[in-house]
Amino acid sequence: MILLSQLINGVLLGGYYALLACGLSFMFGVMRIINLAHGDLAILGACLVFFIADQTGLSPFIGLIVMLPVLAVGGWALQRWMLERSLRAGLLVPLLTTFGLAIVIENGLFEYFGADSRSLAPYIGDFAFDSWAITDNIYIGELAVLIFAVAVVLLGGLKLFLNYTSLGRAIRATAEDADTAELVGINARAVYAVAAAIAVATAGLAGVFLAMRETFSPYSGPTQLIFAFEAVVIGGIGSLSGTLVGGIVLGVAQTFGAQINPQGFLIAGHLVFLLVLAGRLVVGAMRARGGMHGLFARRP
Amino acid sequence: MKSSNRTETWKPLAPKVGVSRRDFVKRAAASAGGLALAGKVPSAFAQASDVVKIGFVSPRTGPLGGFGESDPYVLGLARKALANGLSSGGRTYKIEIIDRDSQSDPARASQLAKALINDDKIDLMLTTSTPEVVNPVADACDAAGIPCVSTILPWESWYFGRGGKPGEKPFPFKWSFHFSFGVAQFAQAYISEWSKAPFPTNKKVGVMFPNDADGNALREHMIPLFEKAGFTVFDPGGYEDGTTDYSAQIAKYKQAGVQIFTGVPLPPDFAVFWRQAAQLGLARTVKIQSIAKTGLFPSQMEALGSLGYNVASLCYWHPTFPYKSPLTGHSSQELADGYEKSTGRQWNQQLGGTQSLLDVGAELLKTTNPKDKQGLVDKLNTFKVTTAVGVVDFAHGPVPHVSTTPLIGAQWIKAKPGSKYKLDMVIVDNADDPNVPIGAKLKPYR
Repeated sequence: MILLSQLINGVLLGGYYALLACGLSFMFGVMRIINLAHGDLAILGACLVFFIADQTGLSPFIGLIVMLPVLAVGGWALQRWMLERSLRAGLLVPLLTTFGLAIVIENGLFEYFGADSRSLAPYIGDFAFDSWAITDNIYIGELAVLIFAVAVVLLGGLKLFLNYTSLGRAIRATAEDADTAELVGINARAVYAVAAAIAVATAGLAGVFLAMRETFSPYSGPTQLIFAFEAVVIGGIGSLSGTLVGGIVLGVAQTFGAQINPQGFLIAGHLVFLLVLAGRLVVGAMRARGGMHGLFARRP
Repeated sequence: MKSSNRTETWKPLAPKVGVSRRDFVKRAAASAGGLALAGKVPSAFAQASDVVKIGFVSPRTGPLGGFGESDPYVLGLARKALANGLSSGGRTYKIEIIDRDSQSDPARASQLAKALINDDKIDLMLTTSTPEVVNPVADACDAAGIPCVSTILPWESWYFGRGGKPGEKPFPFKWSFHFSFGVAQFAQAYISEWSKAPFPTNKKVGVMFPNDADGNALREHMIPLFEKAGFTVFDPGGYEDGTTDYSAQIAKYKQAGVQIFTGVPLPPDFAVFWRQAAQLGLARTVKIQSIAKTGLFPSQMEALGSLGYNVASLCYWHPTFPYKSPLTGHSSQELADGYEKSTGRQWNQQLGGTQSLLDVGAELLKTTNPKDKQGLVDKLNTFKVTTAVGVVDFAHGPVPHVSTTPLIGAQWIKAKPGSKYKLDMVIVDNADDPNVPIGAKLKPYR
């Protein structure tokens, strides 16, 4: 019974990781950029909504409506003025650029908000801890279900958007081969900017849910980046449905790790990540050598 | 009983505090006049050797920021009281208090302490609130030979957390002194509060002790005391500070069927934990939630919304404490009222904690040559003074350099209608210090 309850908790936690990883996966899939500022952009979104809630007393859900366009424009500008330029200098430079951006965001937020841990939970009242009691031992948190549902809708919606709209097709075409896409009349610059806007806005969305379920401080970003990165790698880089699976695997692993020992929470997550990574390397090597037989064949 | 007295005093608060303020100004003017009559205005002629510098390190921001919330106000009172200098051994010294924010970061606390010692050349260090602040500061003072007095963390975390061994001789921390509650006070207050609860419990206690100085000290020293008193203790093991998912521990507490709960989590961690506990149904079966280290301040409880009502806590100071500050002359009620009036925020118990630290510092400097570091340490060994939190007596502590102060059982209840604040803290048990009046009976959490 306790295991079933833990399984449910783990899956719901995985929904949050999938939501968090969505933007990271999307940006890499389209632009081949690993955005190291992803976690800090999530915290930036949380801070913005916190600021709105703190100053005006508005519900964070209304603050979210204000914050998402702001972050989307931010993502668009980020692509236009920073990532595009750094992409011209090769694949490694955008990595350094986003790393620098992460430091700027962290310290900028620290300057304004200080080192305090904050949470949006007080602003959403009882919803932060309301739950449905299924049996005496199984409770399902309403907020956790909402986060999971948003993750599924967002990832599913993005997939439909990529498959069935003309902008989506343009994004896929640009992701495959930007130069050829431009030959058939697609404005690759605009497509990249839209992709960046979507990625950054979803990061902010994840940040707000983080702030509702737990606490955050200006330096919380890097931890979130690690979780997002692990979910993306477990699920397969650039695959949206894989991201959902990856998030759930990570969440379940962490929850069961904590079941064994309270300190096992992080370790179990990292362990699964490393196992999957090692597995992928082995499979990759197998494919390169022509299947299982090739793997065990004597090296030439 | 006592709580209704408090709410009543809030209404005629303005004139009453006004009087005490005027009184204070009069007193200050009188003493200034007295000094002027004596022929000298000391600060005008103060030389470098007449200036005594006190370093003060506390957490104002970061996860422990709640502890430092009221420090600016209390430091302001102290500076006002010391504005005309402090006389010691026939001389008047100008007192300069240099306060620093550790940002809840032990590395920063250590760095700040070293800067205060080496750059500001302080004569005495005062530091307060949690091992994350006090231990690194006290270590720096021991290394540099600067007298250091600290408070508000279990003395075991201060002594064992810094590598002290039971009965170690000579005493390993030559320059640092500490007055605070300890495990014995925790245990006595909890056991009394739980045993005398006016409703039945199954005596099963769930503990939430993190893997840090406080958590490890209490795990080792307090759990045996609970068990001796007839409670069954369930400890799922130390977790790392800053953990964000507690569903595994919560499932285990539920399985163990705990009805009493205690622990020393970092305040933000507790907020995350207890919301998840409510989400997963644990909060519905717990009858006594008596937490320490968090749950001390109204801001922390308000952040929990309706989950904060009826959380029991322990307090080291309360406006109904029957002691006066020797430094400012304020009673406990005056200190609380003055803070509420001046800042618009609800009183919190660190007002008394910080006040008592400044009381000890100032009274010490009055009795001993402030410039004689060895003399200060010698004096501290037998120093006894009544402060805002009660009697501090370094001569009769559990180990040298340590004095214990009481912990009182308290509970957060929903404030009465018409109150400016959401929650009110009332005293429910006084096993540690019978001088403190009991305000109400303990209520079940749910």
